[in-house]
Amino acid sequence: MPTKTDSPNTPKVDYQEVLRDVARSMVRLKRPDRLLKLITRFIDRQFGLAHASLLVFDPKKEHYVFVNSKGTKRLPMGLVKFDSDHPVVQWFSGSKKRLPFQKDFLLLSDVKKMLSRAEFRLATNSKAGQLEGIQKTMQNLKVELLVPGYFKDSLVGLLMLGRRVNGRCFTTKEVTFFQTLANDCSMAVKTAEHNQNLVEQNQELARRLEEIERMRAKEQRTYYEIMRSLAEEVHAKEPYIFGHVSEVERLGMMTAREMGMDLSGKTKDLLSAALILHDVGKIGIPDGILCKPGQLTPEEWKVMRTHVEKGARILEPLTDFKKVREIIMAHHERFDGSGYPRGLKGAEISIEARIIGVVDSFQAIVSSRCYREGRSIDFAIHEVRNCSGAQFDPVVVDAFLKALKKELQKKGEEIPSSLIEYVTD
Amino acid sequence: MNKLLIVDDEVEICEFLKSFFEDRDFKVAVANNGAHALEKVATFQPEVVLLDIQMPGMDGLQTLKKIKEMYPKVKVIMVTAVETQEKIEEAMRLGADNYITKPLSLEYLEKDVKDKIDILAKGF
Repeated sequence: MPTKTDSPNTPKVDYQEVLRDVARSMVRLKRPDRLLKLITRFIDRQFGLAHASLLVFDPKKEHYVFVNSKGTKRLPMGLVKFDSDHPVVQWFSGSKKRLPFQKDFLLLSDVKKMLSRAEFRLATNSKAGQLEGIQKTMQNLKVELLVPGYFKDSLVGLLMLGRRVNGRCFTTKEVTFFQTLANDCSMAVKTAEHNQNLVEQNQELARRLEEIERMRAKEQRTYYEIMRSLAEEVHAKEPYIFGHVSEVERLGMMTAREMGMDLSGKTKDLLSAALILHDVGKIGIPDGILCKPGQLTPEEWKVMRTHVEKGARILEPLTDFKKVREIIMAHHERFDGSGYPRGLKGAEISIEARIIGVVDSFQAIVSSRCYREGRSIDFAIHEVRNCSGAQFDPVVVDAFLKALKKELQKKGEEIPSSLIEYVTD
Repeated sequence: MNKLLIVDDEVEICEFLKSFFEDRDFKVAVANNGAHALEKVATFQPEVVLLDIQMPGMDGLQTLKKIKEMYPKVKVIMVTAVETQEKIEEAMRLGADNYITKPLSLEYLEKDVKDKIDILAKGF
């Protein structure tokens, strides 16, 4: 049994200070290996032991192995394992009612004493066999003191200490100190295990999120494709053909480029989608109104104008294209504020919507309708220019006409008189 | 007294096992490589050899082959750090008497060595 008082020759150790150091290291060191190494080295040096060794449970292999050993008689690493049915492990973890803290350790001398007692010698109960196994193990490993380390009642590891080189016994105070250290080590080991598990779970989560994101993007793509064919369907339904939606898109992109807009990546996709899908809401307009060859009544116009909000609503599932909905909502606004549905003016209308306003109107004028031929480009240009500053943003009109002129020049086509004065740079 | 030869390139392991078996009244010799092991088998004449598979130079399998060629009666227990099925099969084919994976249970190791001694005593 440990002696009651410290021997006067025992080196002075400020236990509290050491434990504080350990606690600080636990916070600092993510991996417990270094902390465990520090602890065994400290014990070995401070107490002058044949060896100080740490046995730790490996949850993957389900056995206990030595992770560290210091001292002149240190134990080899990776050689010896303790299965969970080993007497030493059984002694500290097997019994349901754990020993009180101040008795929860084993000195070789105590084991010998217990075994020499008659009740153990004569008893055939498992405890005697267990103690014999423990004694044998302690002798094999040259261990004088076994100190268990727990975390939430499970035996995480054991501190195994060899005899003191000076032959002295361990004091009660020292044993208490070792118990606290062993439990600190256990907490460090378990915390690291939890961290590792969390890291692994996070990786798995990230992998799944990626998968979901991939599926979501695919779904968005599919929905977009459906919307695109719907938009084309709408144009085909109308009695006059505005030309293929892709023509509106081409003119719009051309104008944006002329204006020097940033058309890299997502911006381009947004503008392109808005140009293609701007009239998709017309799918919700009754054919009687949509396909009426003549003038619409004021009532019919009221219905017709709802295609703007209907379009925005149809596109709600396209979460990637939130901006597209805003553009579509504004594509019938006019620069001077006389448009619908909200009567926005000037810069309140997004630049993309202002572009759609110009190119959509232009394309409507030049397209053939069932009851009349499409007007000439020259006529359409006049119309667009006349409305510049009122219905249309003059900057957009300017860019559109410049781009149009450049295109015609490139194709070697005749430049309409209305465009001759336009200077292209 | 029973004689045991321990072959491992790690000196600490050899020293630990030597002390363990000496406490059990064995006469123990150690060797840290294959060539040294062959010499010891000839001079020390052990009944049982504990042979590490992974060693630099002549590895455990080559050493096993030579021991069994020259001294077929010597019992050889292979000790492996990483359990590679191929190496174990190869060892058994070369005549190994058993294999034990590291980390090992000391109780099992002791029992296995004693079993081999018993088998020898019965004249097999």
